[in-house]
Amino acid sequence: MKQLLFLTAAIALNAQVKHEDIAAGPGKNWLTYHGDFGAMRHSPLKQITRANAGNLVAKWTYHVDNALKLEATPIVYEGVMYLTNSNEVVALDARTGRRIWRYLDAHSQIRRVNRGVAILGDRVFFVTGDAHLVALHRSTGALLWSKRYADPSKGYVATLAPLALKDRVVVGVGGGDSGVRGFVAAMSASTGEELWRFYTVPLPSEFGADTWGKLNTDWGGAATWMHGTYDPELNLLYWPTGNPWPDLTKEERQGDNLFSCSVLAIDVATGKRKWHFQFTPGDTRDWDAQSIPVLINGDYKGKPRKLLLHPNRNGFFYVLDRVTGEFLSGTPFVDRLNWATGIGKDGRPLEIPKIQPNAVGIKNCPSLRGASNWMSPSFHPKTQLLYVPTLEQCDIYSTSGLPAAKLVGSMGGGVDPVPGEPGQFFLRAIDYKTGKKAWEYPMPGPGKMWGGTLTTAGDVLFAADDDGNLLALDPFNGKHLWHYSTGQNLTASPMTFEAGGKQFVTILAGTEVYTFGLFEPAK
Amino acid sequence: MKRYFAICALSAFAQAIPSDKQLLDPAWINEGRHQYRLACGGCHGNGGEGGRGPNLADGATVKRAKNERLFGAIKNGVPGTDMPGFNWDDEKTWRMVAFLRSLSAPAMQAIVPGDVENGRAIFHGKGQCTGCHMIRGGGGFIGPDLTDAGATRTVKQLREGIVAPSDRIAEGFQTVKTVAVDGTKLNGVVKNRNNYSLQVLDEGGKLHLIDAASLREINLEVKSLMPGDYKTKLSAKEIDDLVAFLAKQSVRAEAK
Repeated sequence: MKQLLFLTAAIALNAQVKHEDIAAGPGKNWLTYHGDFGAMRHSPLKQITRANAGNLVAKWTYHVDNALKLEATPIVYEGVMYLTNSNEVVALDARTGRRIWRYLDAHSQIRRVNRGVAILGDRVFFVTGDAHLVALHRSTGALLWSKRYADPSKGYVATLAPLALKDRVVVGVGGGDSGVRGFVAAMSASTGEELWRFYTVPLPSEFGADTWGKLNTDWGGAATWMHGTYDPELNLLYWPTGNPWPDLTKEERQGDNLFSCSVLAIDVATGKRKWHFQFTPGDTRDWDAQSIPVLINGDYKGKPRKLLLHPNRNGFFYVLDRVTGEFLSGTPFVDRLNWATGIGKDGRPLEIPKIQPNAVGIKNCPSLRGASNWMSPSFHPKTQLLYVPTLEQCDIYSTSGLPAAKLVGSMGGGVDPVPGEPGQFFLRAIDYKTGKKAWEYPMPGPGKMWGGTLTTAGDVLFAADDDGNLLALDPFNGKHLWHYSTGQNLTASPMTFEAGGKQFVTILAGTEVYTFGLFEPAK
Repeated sequence: MKRYFAICALSAFAQAIPSDKQLLDPAWINEGRHQYRLACGGCHGNGGEGGRGPNLADGATVKRAKNERLFGAIKNGVPGTDMPGFNWDDEKTWRMVAFLRSLSAPAMQAIVPGDVENGRAIFHGKGQCTGCHMIRGGGGFIGPDLTDAGATRTVKQLREGIVAPSDRIAEGFQTVKTVAVDGTKLNGVVKNRNNYSLQVLDEGGKLHLIDAASLREINLEVKSLMPGDYKTKLSAKEIDDLVAFLAKQSVRAEAK
């Protein structure tokens, strides 16, 4: 028995993942969804290089039973990989893909895709489809607590990877298309107790309430279904918000509909809004602002500035000052764009009123899926380029004229493809200083995928194409270096780590986890 | 008129569907069990764990199927498979559904005799369970976590886990002793293994990711680390109480 008690005590002595470890950015480990708090998705690893990327080979595959379109970016810490399926977490030996433990949630009645875990201290955190934040012991998968933070009977669901920092875990919600009232919440990493909550749709007495017309703002959308970014120096979160509800008609909600289709700068200590920037005021095209707000420190018009880069679903690429929220530039990054002539000096789009969705149906560009979406871009410090999965596509938008019904995903209209005009994906390298593309890599079709990107100090750009291939490209010019066909539609972003002295690259696809490394000749 | 008849027929069927409580009735479950032995065990295994037919005890398909669906499959068979229709009367068929549900019903949903409070005292005291098992982060890690024991295990599994732990060692909890080529020894539980690698949690709570080629010896214990003498160390009532306590353990219930 003495020996057993000793074992109990010993587990607490395991290495703890600290806030500072995450803030240091990726290295051998990959400790947060984007690798770094600012979502550059740039790894300093350089065993795999432009010169040898052609020698990449598959090292292992892990199959996820009953996978629901795997969308997670794995976390890796000290050779252990943590990833999620719907209501499920697995820990794998990152060198071999062998499972160490698996947690299957026995309670959630809602199955949704899931984008991964957060790690802090001795635990990993994930959200269930029915909006519970769950804490597990990372050595064993033992269940520590499960806290409901939103009510599924009111349309809330959850899909995001939580964001762990300092002593807390930040979460958001999905369900915007059912009319939920979006919010961002911070919970204690030790107990799950809620520390603060910021609603993205104001109540009548609050700032922004007068931007919602007649709509009851208990319902309003502006969901927070995607992982935000964080600047530890400013202690600010940058959280993207979804579209207002009902999605395609604004009859009931005349006005800008704050804080939908925006990025919110939130003080992580208090949950108070420092500033907001709305990309698409009074949106009627389902253009969530869920593309990633990428944080870089860079030169802008001769001055060093703390910047936020954001390729929006509405077709414009934005540069903001992330200290103040000041709008610096907004330039189109797609050719198919017909709803606005540009972005004004105040940051508001110069909309063309006659292009609004109507009862007859009208061609709008970009499409409902947007010029880019939640697939991760990445930034390479050496090239100073942002790599953005970009969709050139239009849709025919029409309003239904029917009153929008809550809780059933009623959008107040719908979209159809434009006959004879299929969409096409490109991977575009954007120079943030000018908003112009440096190069592009056209994809073969069929114009459907959710794969993101990664850059490395070995000067390799990893990306997904819409034919199920993981690609390695030259980040300087987009030249193809290597590809591997996963045989599945890619629905996640690649990441890289080092284990046993070797660099690996992992991407989840559909139902499998694929890991690659350099070919090693027989000894 | 036709529509009127359709509505009548539907409501008659609806009335025939037993309540969830009815499906938990031990008498119904026992009758269903008896019928199962006569008609079903040959293909699905006496314990329902499968054979020629699918696993009815742990299989996800049966777990997820609605009661009406199971009823239909028993009554009418499953087209395209070897499963015949039995055409029993409705009540007999529902009793079979009750038995099938009982095979995989989480303990928290079952009617479990026993004193929960006394079970809790045994768990934390006489039973010395917390030396190896955690509930909500408290306790040892070398045995399976029991925070959600009532939500993830049947009553039968809880009971067998206590009285006959070595009959079925939980995946990831087999004891292993290894000796490396250089003579280094390691004891722990093997979370996973194949001919090429092992993942071992050692006695200090550290995870070892090992190439099998680096080992000289791998000695797997066939007995569970869990003591095998609870059947004699605890009385029948105490075991009932412990099962009743574990059956209540669910992370979404109030912490107790």
